[in-house]
Amino acid sequence: MDNRELIAKLNNLKSMNPDSAWLANNRELLLSQISNSGAENISAWKAVLINFSSVARIASRPVFSLGVFILLLLFGSFFGRSLFLNAKPNDSLYIAKIISEKLKVNTTFNTQERDKLALQFATEHAQAITSVLSDPTFNNEANKDQVARLNDNFKEEVATVQNKFNKLDASKKMTRPSTANPKLNSDFALIDDNVVIADSARDKQGIQLIDSAANQIKVEVLESTKASSALSSLTAKEAKINLASSTGNIASSSESAPEVNKNGASQILDEAQKLFDQKDYSQASKKLKEVEEIIK
Amino acid sequence: MSNLAQKFRDRRILNRLKNRDKEAFIRVYDQNVKDIYRFVYFKISNREEANDLTSMIFLKTWNHIQNKTLEDAKTLRALLYKIARNSIIDYYRENNGKKFTSLDDQDNKLEIIDESQNTPEDLDKETNLNLIKSKLPLLKDEYLEVIIMRFINDLSLEEIADISGKNRGNVRVLLHRALNALRELIEKEQGSNNE
Repeated sequence: MDNRELIAKLNNLKSMNPDSAWLANNRELLLSQISNSGAENISAWKAVLINFSSVARIASRPVFSLGVFILLLLFGSFFGRSLFLNAKPNDSLYIAKIISEKLKVNTTFNTQERDKLALQFATEHAQAITSVLSDPTFNNEANKDQVARLNDNFKEEVATVQNKFNKLDASKKMTRPSTANPKLNSDFALIDDNVVIADSARDKQGIQLIDSAANQIKVEVLESTKASSALSSLTAKEAKINLASSTGNIASSSESAPEVNKNGASQILDEAQKLFDQKDYSQASKKLKEVEEIIK
Repeated sequence: MSNLAQKFRDRRILNRLKNRDKEAFIRVYDQNVKDIYRFVYFKISNREEANDLTSMIFLKTWNHIQNKTLEDAKTLRALLYKIARNSIIDYYRENNGKKFTSLDDQDNKLEIIDESQNTPEDLDKETNLNLIKSKLPLLKDEYLEVIIMRFINDLSLEEIADISGKNRGNVRVLLHRALNALRELIEKEQGSNNE
């Protein structure tokens, strides 16, 4: 006899039933007993109410759980950080701050914004570590292990800041060629390109200056094309070269700003790291503030 | 979907019971009395005592629901079985552990439902069933319990796990061991009969 056969036989034991007369009598007996304890037939409206509440309770479970989860996520991402804003790296609430920051970073969908946010948080963490370590009541022999851990954390945060800077810089470089598409096949295309570059720099350099520069280039090119029959091919080439160099100057002037920022920040970070290693926490904190200013 | 409908039916009947609805209690009784009776009967092996205990279990369930201590079971069926288990434990305690060792007494002979077709196969089936019935009380309590719940009363693994306070995996293992133990007992009996 195998298990399947045995199970089939066990199933047949369902035929083992109580006596039907006993069933009916017991039913009546139980009814009278529960009637004595206050059982009654409920009214139709109450039955409807019960049905409704049962449906609501069953349906609400997944919906309710999902709702609570979304609310917690939104709350955590928007208000979680401000709740634990004053938490220091040696506080027990600091982990909550880190979690809420991570939540906020992960719920930011724009990649550049996300990197910027992560950069800002990492700088703030490094600053918080310097402020904690500058406190002599904490930074002593008794908290040796915690101090060592914070030292490691500082290095990690600085490395994160550096990485995020590089990442942001790389993403800026990636977006730049798409706006300044090099259509250098004709002189007029070159003019269009210059105008695009000038437009992008309008806020910084002023519309008058850029427009005049573009007009000057346009005139030069028109003159060079009109006079192409009269002038030799060499002069035309010279004109082109002049034009190219002038556009190059404009382009390089607009590109140089972030490069300086990146290099400057990198240098300041290195200095902050050195100062931190020398245990000059207040100066290291000042350097980090400078980095924070650059980010802003 | 059917699971959700079942949950709704369960929830509705629980709410009605909480509101002291007599009709809901009758429905619960009609739906479960045979299963609970079988559970008790195969555990204590005595028809009269099983009748009394079954009746008491339903009354206890009613009181349990009225006292708002319902939330310790996932379903109403699980609650009934939990109360049944506790009532059986109480019964043994009151009777100083006395247990009937065989279901196979003269009063409790198993009857095949369709008696008009008493073919040799039916007789063989009846003999087999009576043999199984006689061996069930020899099993360990926890083996007997899971066999009744799963293979006689068709409870799901989740329900058995909820009732017995074990996880699904443990219940599965227990079922496997229980079946093997019962099969061994039967084969041993058949072997000695053949000799």
